[in-house]
Amino acid sequence: MSTTETIATGTDTTTGTETTTGTETTTGTETTTGTETTPADSSERTRGPRIGENAPRPDGVPKVNGEFAFGNDMWIEGMLFGRTLRSPHPYARIISIDISKALAMHGVHAVITADDVPGQKLYGLEHKDQPVFASEVVRFHGEPIAAVAADHPETARRACRAIEVEYDVHAPIVDAELSITAPPIHPDGNIFRHMFIRHGHPDSPESEGVVAVEGDYEIGMQDQAFLGPECALGIPLEDGGIELYVSTQWIHADREQTAACLGLDPEQVRMTMAGVGGAFGGREDISLQIHTALLTLHTGRPVKLQYSREESFFGHVHRHPAKMWYRHSARADGTLAKIEARLVFDGGAYASTSSAVLSNASCFAHGPYNVEHALIEGYSVRTNNPSCGAMRGFGAVQTCFAHEAQMDKLAAALGIDSIDLRLKNALKTGDRNITGQLLSGVVPVAELIERCVAHPLPAMGEVGEMMGRPGGAGRTADAHHIKRGFGFAIGWKNLMFSEGFDDYSTARVRIDEGQNGPVVTVHCACAEVGQGFVTLAQQIARTVLGLDEILLHPADTQVGSAGSTSASRQTWMSGGAVQQACEAVRTQIFASLAATHGVDPETLAIQDDHIVSVDGTFSIPVEDAVANKTFEATEVNRHVQTVRLDADGQGDAHVSFAFAAHRAVVDVDEELGLVRVIDITTTQDVGKLLNPRQALGQIEGGIAQGVGLAVMEEIIVTNGKVRNASFTDYLIPTTLDMPTVTIAALIEEPEPGAPFGAKGIGEPPTIASTAAVAAAIRNAIGRDITRVPVRPQDICL
Amino acid sequence: MTAPQAHSNEPTNDHDVTVGYSLSINGGTHPVQDAWIGESLLYVLRERLGLPGAKNACEQGECGSCSVVLDGTLVCSCLVLAADAVGSEIATIEGLSADGGLTDVQQAFLDAGAVQCGFCTTGLVMSVHDMLDTTPAPTDLERREAISGNLCRCTGYGRIFEAIDLVVTRRSGSPAGAS
Amino acid sequence: MSGVAFAYSRAADVADAVARGGAPGAAFVAGGTDLLQLWKAGRATPTELIDVYGLGLDGIGVDGDELSIGATARLSDVARHPFVVDQHPLIAEAVLASASGQIRNMATVGGNLLQRTRCPYFRTAGMACNKHRPGSGCGALDGEDRHAALFGAGSSCVATHPSDLAVALVALDATVEVSGARGVRRVGLSELYRLPGERPDVDTTLAAGELITRVLVPRAASIGRLATYVKVRDRASFEFALLSVAAVIRIDAGTIVHARLVCGGVAPAPWRLPAGEALLIGQKPERGVFTVAAAAAVEGAPPLPGNSFKVELLRRALVRTLTTIATGS
Repeated sequence: MSTTETIATGTDTTTGTETTTGTETTTGTETTTGTETTPADSSERTRGPRIGENAPRPDGVPKVNGEFAFGNDMWIEGMLFGRTLRSPHPYARIISIDISKALAMHGVHAVITADDVPGQKLYGLEHKDQPVFASEVVRFHGEPIAAVAADHPETARRACRAIEVEYDVHAPIVDAELSITAPPIHPDGNIFRHMFIRHGHPDSPESEGVVAVEGDYEIGMQDQAFLGPECALGIPLEDGGIELYVSTQWIHADREQTAACLGLDPEQVRMTMAGVGGAFGGREDISLQIHTALLTLHTGRPVKLQYSREESFFGHVHRHPAKMWYRHSARADGTLAKIEARLVFDGGAYASTSSAVLSNASCFAHGPYNVEHALIEGYSVRTNNPSCGAMRGFGAVQTCFAHEAQMDKLAAALGIDSIDLRLKNALKTGDRNITGQLLSGVVPVAELIERCVAHPLPAMGEVGEMMGRPGGAGRTADAHHIKRGFGFAIGWKNLMFSEGFDDYSTARVRIDEGQNGPVVTVHCACAEVGQGFVTLAQQIARTVLGLDEILLHPADTQVGSAGSTSASRQTWMSGGAVQQACEAVRTQIFASLAATHGVDPETLAIQDDHIVSVDGTFSIPVEDAVANKTFEATEVNRHVQTVRLDADGQGDAHVSFAFAAHRAVVDVDEELGLVRVIDITTTQDVGKLLNPRQALGQIEGGIAQGVGLAVMEEIIVTNGKVRNASFTDYLIPTTLDMPTVTIAALIEEPEPGAPFGAKGIGEPPTIASTAAVAAAIRNAIGRDITRVPVRPQDICL
Repeated sequence: MTAPQAHSNEPTNDHDVTVGYSLSINGGTHPVQDAWIGESLLYVLRERLGLPGAKNACEQGECGSCSVVLDGTLVCSCLVLAADAVGSEIATIEGLSADGGLTDVQQAFLDAGAVQCGFCTTGLVMSVHDMLDTTPAPTDLERREAISGNLCRCTGYGRIFEAIDLVVTRRSGSPAGAS
Repeated sequence: MSGVAFAYSRAADVADAVARGGAPGAAFVAGGTDLLQLWKAGRATPTELIDVYGLGLDGIGVDGDELSIGATARLSDVARHPFVVDQHPLIAEAVLASASGQIRNMATVGGNLLQRTRCPYFRTAGMACNKHRPGSGCGALDGEDRHAALFGAGSSCVATHPSDLAVALVALDATVEVSGARGVRRVGLSELYRLPGERPDVDTTLAAGELITRVLVPRAASIGRLATYVKVRDRASFEFALLSVAAVIRIDAGTIVHARLVCGGVAPAPWRLPAGEALLIGQKPERGVFTVAAAAAVEGAPPLPGNSFKVELLRRALVRTLTTIATGS
């Protein structure tokens, strides 16, 4: 194979145009059914897996053999390589930027700064407060100053080094609490949101119980640490527009923000999802989309911009570090009388989703419990630290760590078993939360708790095996010093976007006659980031339409928005949109049969792969009913309208809620402060299992991130500067760190209003697992742990 | 095969040296022209030879996503100078399967649900093959340590362990693996 | 990929390497796992790389009374070599506690001994670091200092040496054989390293162009087999030491007659604790003795605010290591 030929193939895969055979395996999202693993003869079609079955991923084969095209794999003839120059200071005034030396370098095609942004200079997901390039002030370590396009990545890097920026360095504001009253570091001020939730009569004397516990809790800054760094490829279009391939979570929001900064109509910016190597919230905001587009339009050449791992740490938002004060007060029988909390979330330099994160943290601050009175005060604050925004769990992770620690503390103070205390106060369907919203859906809190703790504990394991002890391959732990601890936690959060956001997804479904029978094409802009929507979309289409051959059109802006792949919302929102579009097509098919066969379309239904009438007198294979015909429908799925919380934090702000419980077993080497998480046993409220194997992967993966936050993961920021922007220094769990995950129960009680009754399952595993591990460490060592990640010195000194 | 020879030293202040050489990859010879001497094997595979199966997640040897086999040894291709790999036999994910189908490890990854975003997957497939070649039936801890150089952020590794179990069972020919 | 431009060539033989290695900007490369990381980060700026991987310096064997490990022997080969496992399993333990399988497959013994600190201020472009550029300041002194040194540091630099293997080898009284312009010499591994002083950019006592060719370790018969390596770190695998201890003792008639206590991750070099060693000699291998020796060993360590916990942690790790050896568990 010659180089040229290889590259030509690569070009095909990356432009990803429509549905030619060559692109099918390589674009990943665009393959036919799961038949790759068991290739079927064309005359003998395989029955594709329906809802509830372990359907294989349609992108599985290209992902295991290396043919799947991630953003980073994109290649097109003549493309240039982009690179971003970033601020070394967390807070400084820019005195001057001199690009002349960089621009003069051989191989450099463009050097752009804020002066080269033709449209809006600011962007942002919720609030436009972030400059495309800093021009007057830099507000965080790593803020983009300029970008370069060159013929080789190394040339681009050197050109960045040749840009001369003169700074007047200021002392950064890095303490969120102090920033509340500090001079503003941005024209929009330092407070992203300050909110209260007042429930009951927290100021009345009656709100006070007989026993009260108080605590201060702190959580470090966690990174999403997805494996595939950010990447985009821009291709200039003849009409002055641009085609942008980008690994992202929400291409329509990207397009809207990008077009505004380019000064183009959104229609002039065509976006297509490139393969995404994980996201977890970290790709919801703009990173390199606008820079890539600007370089592309500036040079008139295709430009690929990809981040290194270090740059990825600087280029996306993180989970908010938080400081939380809590006070719980209870009646003598354990009834929760009042919960007070003050939450201070450090949002970093720019707004991102800080406002919504704080709202979530506050709404779920009391845990899945009834409480008579509550007063929650929340701040999300601007500082000169790295910007924070969406990460799996979205605010609920932070407060869960605190409220579950408080519940254990309260139980001890009351002399009540901590599980009994939780059960006594557990929310159930028909209760109201502290924002006054009626919980009308499935709220199986008590069942989750009971089934999780009832599950048998894991055996002690082989103490002889050194690597299995705390300290792992360091061969550190002495069996005599190991103490085993157990901890429990339960958490909850909302599904879908909240507080009045116009949240919807769009799907187009079309049936055409293919070479070997009818082919269903599903077109939805839902970002497949690894979670398995592509699998579910096929399962849903098969189930509704009774056809097996389901083709997934690349996710792009040629169809309406699907919203973000976040908030555990895509199965409900985009799955629902696919379901509705399939149902609309099904209605067309029935109408067509009414015309040709004289049957009453109202009496028809699809059962497996046949269309049958309710009286059993009519039956036809779906395949025959649609033969040589074309059907198409586009549907938009919106969830029920929510409202923004009022001044007292009251209102029906959320659509639906999901819950998960975790019991952690840890071994602690008390002398050296080492922890090994042995097992996490979990129960989760899933509504309906659409694909059990995929669900298991989501649960295990979510728990891994929760365990990581509990014992190792933290972006170290000292005086505004990031100290560990690498996978050597930012630690995520390895295979040797990961505990066994035991599923005690997945509760399948259908959620009203949800497609197939299924709840989103991606986030709940991450919420309480951190809290459970912290509780288990406390249990093992008999002392308080008020901050995660837990470090050796927190345990043993 | 000869060691790389500098043949065109561009007259820049940076003393850039570009070289031409050939790499032996998956049994074939791949000429590389005008490569900059600082390019890693990972870069040359991905950007010059159209072999993007090895992934660039960290480029510092910290994640294993770029794992390839160099003269029979599993290495991180991001920390190998491509010019230094001249004369070595390089095996990448693209050449893993002799018949163009899937290897038993690849099949097991699919069967066990070990693939999510997939960015770590090719590196892990290489790593699991390497481990099972030397240790056909690793204990739980042995396997955990052996592949700890491959980071995965999506799966929590549970389905990956399941995939390893499947391969071990199937290779041992026990009936449990027949499904 | 990144970094400044350099020329690359394979050395013809040791003499060729040594002859060219002394030139300004020249650097030896073997496994490349550390050098290429630094180069990509812009923190190593060689103008000429001389590849010594193929010089046949990878042999492992017995040479007289010593175990001989070639400088380019790969860590994974060292860890499983029967001579190593038989004579000094301590070496294998330390190696297997290091890095990942892939990195051990690439990294060499010589490169491991000469790897640079993991101090983030040294590793990250744009940060003040006297080790990178003398006179530019030390960011760690008033910044993130959790990983900073307890011993041997100065006002110019508080970086620690990250090698696990070097800690074990110092505990085994290893020496290195070095080839240079003036011929072959041997130097004790402890003497290979130098303290930062006024030149924190210079880690070793090697002259320009000198090449480590092999490591020599006295055979177990002369120094004893009672040894172990304990490593405390923040992750179960694939992570540098927060601190580590290698201890070697020989017991004769119930009394300790030889002791080496060496710690890692707490000093600019593998750090011997002679005060602790002295208190072991002539004593019975008992926990009480170990506790006294460990307390003496860490006495006077001057910590920074963020790493003071390591003093007590090190004391405990010393007791743990000695107890583990004595009880054989």
